[in-house]
Amino acid sequence: MSPRRHSLTPSLRRAGRRLLAWLLAFPLALPFTFSLTLSLAIPAVHAAESLRYPTTFDGDAAAALVIHGALDLPQVRPLLDAFHRDHPDVALHYRNLTTLALHERFLKAPAEADVLISSAMPWQYRLANDGQAQPLDTPAARRWPAWARWRSELFAVTFEPIVMVVNEAIIERFGEVRSHADLLALLERQSESLRGRVVTYDPAISGAGYTYAIEESRLSPRYWELVAALGEAEAALVGTTGEMLEGLIEGRYLVGYNLLGSYARERLANHPRLKIVVPEDYALVTQRLALVPRLAPHPETARRFLDYLIGERGQEVLARETPLGAIHPSLEGPGTAASLRRQRGDALRPITLGPGLLATLDDLKREALLTRWRREFMRRRRH
Amino acid sequence: MTRGDSLSRRLLVWLLLPLLVLGSLMLLQAWFEARRTADRAFDRLLEAASLAIAEQVQWQDDRLWLDLPPAALEMLATDAEERVFYSLIDRRGRMITGNAELPGDQREAVSDDDTLLYRDVTWQGLSVRQGVRRTRLEDWQLREPFEVRVAHSREGRDALAAELWRANLAMILAMAALAIVALLLAIRTALAPLTRLRRAIRSRDPRTLAPLELRLPRELAELRDTVNELLARMRRVRANQERFIGDASHQLRTPLAGLSARAELALRQDDPARWREALVAMQATSSRTARLAMQLLSLTRLANPEYRPERAPLSLNAIAREAVREHWTACHRAGVDLGVATAAADVEILGIDWQLAEALGNLIDNARRYGARHVTIRVGEQPPSLSIEDDGPGIPAARRTLMLRPFHRDRDDLEGSGLGLAIVDGIARTHGARLAMSAGPGGVGLRVTLRFPGDSP
Repeated sequence: MSPRRHSLTPSLRRAGRRLLAWLLAFPLALPFTFSLTLSLAIPAVHAAESLRYPTTFDGDAAAALVIHGALDLPQVRPLLDAFHRDHPDVALHYRNLTTLALHERFLKAPAEADVLISSAMPWQYRLANDGQAQPLDTPAARRWPAWARWRSELFAVTFEPIVMVVNEAIIERFGEVRSHADLLALLERQSESLRGRVVTYDPAISGAGYTYAIEESRLSPRYWELVAALGEAEAALVGTTGEMLEGLIEGRYLVGYNLLGSYARERLANHPRLKIVVPEDYALVTQRLALVPRLAPHPETARRFLDYLIGERGQEVLARETPLGAIHPSLEGPGTAASLRRQRGDALRPITLGPGLLATLDDLKREALLTRWRREFMRRRRH
Repeated sequence: MTRGDSLSRRLLVWLLLPLLVLGSLMLLQAWFEARRTADRAFDRLLEAASLAIAEQVQWQDDRLWLDLPPAALEMLATDAEERVFYSLIDRRGRMITGNAELPGDQREAVSDDDTLLYRDVTWQGLSVRQGVRRTRLEDWQLREPFEVRVAHSREGRDALAAELWRANLAMILAMAALAIVALLLAIRTALAPLTRLRRAIRSRDPRTLAPLELRLPRELAELRDTVNELLARMRRVRANQERFIGDASHQLRTPLAGLSARAELALRQDDPARWREALVAMQATSSRTARLAMQLLSLTRLANPEYRPERAPLSLNAIAREAVREHWTACHRAGVDLGVATAAADVEILGIDWQLAEALGNLIDNARRYGARHVTIRVGEQPPSLSIEDDGPGIPAARRTLMLRPFHRDRDDLEGSGLGLAIVDGIARTHGARLAMSAGPGGVGLRVTLRFPGDSP
C-alpha cells in the first residue's frame, strides 16, 4: 500500500468519503451475531434490522423517537424494553446499522435520527467537534465522569476492553500469557511453532484495528516490536473480531490478539478451552459514544432517552443484561467498569475522548501509520 | 438634610455621577483588557499547535506530507473542551489534509519568514479563533511554502476573560465602595460648620440682636458677617423705633394732660361763659392732638418697609395747582400769599397723589407756621421736582438735617408736632426722590425741594 494511493484530495468531503469506504470493515457494528452466523459477510442484512415499539398512548400525548445504533438487536433489546416500560408514551424505532452506514446516513440526512450510538469513536467525536451534537444538561449528564464525556454533547455509554484470546493448549505448552510482554516473549521464542496460528486485525482494512494500532503505538514504542514479532510469526490479518473468533473456535488459530472483549465474552461462553485474557500491563478500552444530533426531529424524547442511557436505570440494564459494560460510577459488580477496574486497575486504558481522535481520521496520518505498520510487520519476515 | 434641595445631596450627586461614569468606563476597559489578555494567553496554544504540526510537514513522493501529531490537537483543547480544527494548505491554496476547510487570512505577512496571524472567524456558524502559520520547507534544493491553519472555539478564552474580569470587577467595586465612603465623610466634614452655624442661630434667644461670635471657614464667615451687619441694622432700627414711641407717647401725653387740666379747671367754676371758653380751648387742643395722631399714623405707615403702594403716572403741575386750591383759603385768612409757578411743559412722574398732596400740605403749613409771608410752589422740569419757597426765617444749614428727625422742632412751638418734615422725608423716600433744603431766593427764607428720579416716567 503506497502513499500514492491517496493522491491529493481536492475536498475534505471526498476525503471523508474515501475514509468511510475504507472503514467499511469497522466490526463494532456487530455484523456477527448468533442468529446471523451464516451471513457473516453481508452487513446489508443488518442495515434492514430494526425494532419498533408502538406507543400505548393515542393522540397528542404520544412522542416519537428514532434511534440509529451500531448495537445488535439482542444487546439493544433489553435497553429498549426497559425504556419502553418507563416511557410507554414514546413510539420507539430502533435501526441497527453498521458504523459506516450509520455515519453516511447521518451525513446525508442529519435530521433523521434522534440519537446516534456508535462504536466508531473518531467519527462520533468528529460530528460533535463540528457542532453537529446538541448538549444534554441534566443532573445525570453533569454527574457523568469527565473521562467518559466530551462537553455535554458526547457520552460514552459502554466500557469494552480489548482482549487476547489464548487456547489452553498454548498455556499448557508454553505457560500463561497474561500481558503484552508475555505475548511478545512467546512470539519471539516460539515463532516457528506459532507460524500462521496467531490472528489479529489488519489495520489496513479494519477501522477498529487501525484505531487500536494508533493508540498502542502512542502508548509504547515496544508496540512495534510486537508488530515485528507478529510479522515473524506470519500472523493472519483479518477484518473483524467475528472472523477471529470463528478461527479460534474452529482451532485454526491458537492466539487471537486485540479482540473486542464484549463479543468474545458472549461468544466464548461455551468454549472453555479458549481463555479470554485482559492484559495486565495495559488493556485498551473502547466505548460506544452516544449523541443527540443538533437537528434531531424529536429533541425532547431524544434527551430523555440519552438521559436514561447514562442514568442509573439504563446503565444497570447494560451491566446485567448485556456484555457491554456499564460506566455509571455508582454501579458495582460484574459487567461494570468498576469491577473491571478493580481487577486490572491502572492497566486499563480507555481510548481518550479528545481531539487526539481527530488525528486518527487524518488521511495522511493513516497512510503514515499504515506504511510504518507494514514495514515493521515485514521486517523480520523470512522471504 | 435629605429633604428637598440639599447641599449635601447636590454635592453627592455631582461627585457620584462622574465617579459612576468613571467606574463604568473602567469596567468596560477591564473587560476589553481581560479579553485581550485571554486571547494573548490562548494564542500561545495556537502558536504551539501550529508549530508542532508545521514541524511534521515533509516533502515525500513529490508532495507535502504530514504525520499529524495527535498531541498538537490535544494541546488546543484545554479544560474547557474546545472544538478543534486544523488544515494543511499547499502553495496553491489546496487543502492537503485537515478536518475543516478553514478560511485563509488575506493579511500581508510582516516578513517572508515563518509568520503567524491570529483572528476571530466564523466557521460553519461556530465562532472560533484561528491561527494561520505561513512557513516553508527548507530542503537542499526545495523551498516549498505551505500554510498550517489551526482554530479552536472560544470557551476557554471566554472563561478566562470572565475570570479576569470578575477579579477586576471585585477590585473596582471595592474601590468604588471606599470612594463613596470617603465621599460621604468628606461631605459631612465639609458641611459641619454649616450645621454649627445653624445650631448657633437656632439656640439664640429670639429677642437678642447681638452679633454671632463663631469661628467659621471663609465662605461661611462672609455669611456670618452679612448676618451680623443685618443684626446691627436691626439694632439701630429698633433703637429708632423705641425713641419714636417714647417721643410719640410724650407728645400725646402733653396735650392730653393739658385737656385734663383744663377740664378740671372749668369744672370748678359755675360760669357758663368760662365753660364755653374752656370748651373752645379744649376743642383746639383735641383737634391738634387728633392731627398729631394722624401724622404719627402716616409716619408709621411710611416707615413700614413692607408698605409698597401702587404708583401711578401723575402730573406735577396738576398736583401743585391742586395744593394751592386746597390751602389758599387757609393761607389767605392768615395773610400769607400762596402762589404757584408751574412748568411750561407738563411734567409727569410715577407717584402716589395723596402722599404728594400731604407732603405739599405739610410744607405749606410749616412755612405758614414759621412766619412766612410769601409761599411759592415751583415745579421743575429737569429733573422733575417740586419746591416750596418761603421768605420766612429759614433754617441754618448746620441744623437742616436735624429737622428731618421726628419730633424735632426748630423753636419752641406749641402748634407744630415736629413731624411735618419727617413725614415729607418719608414720602420722598417712598418715591425714590431726594429731599434737599437750601436758602430761598435771594438768600432769604427756606426752599425745600423734592427731586424725583429720571426726567419722565
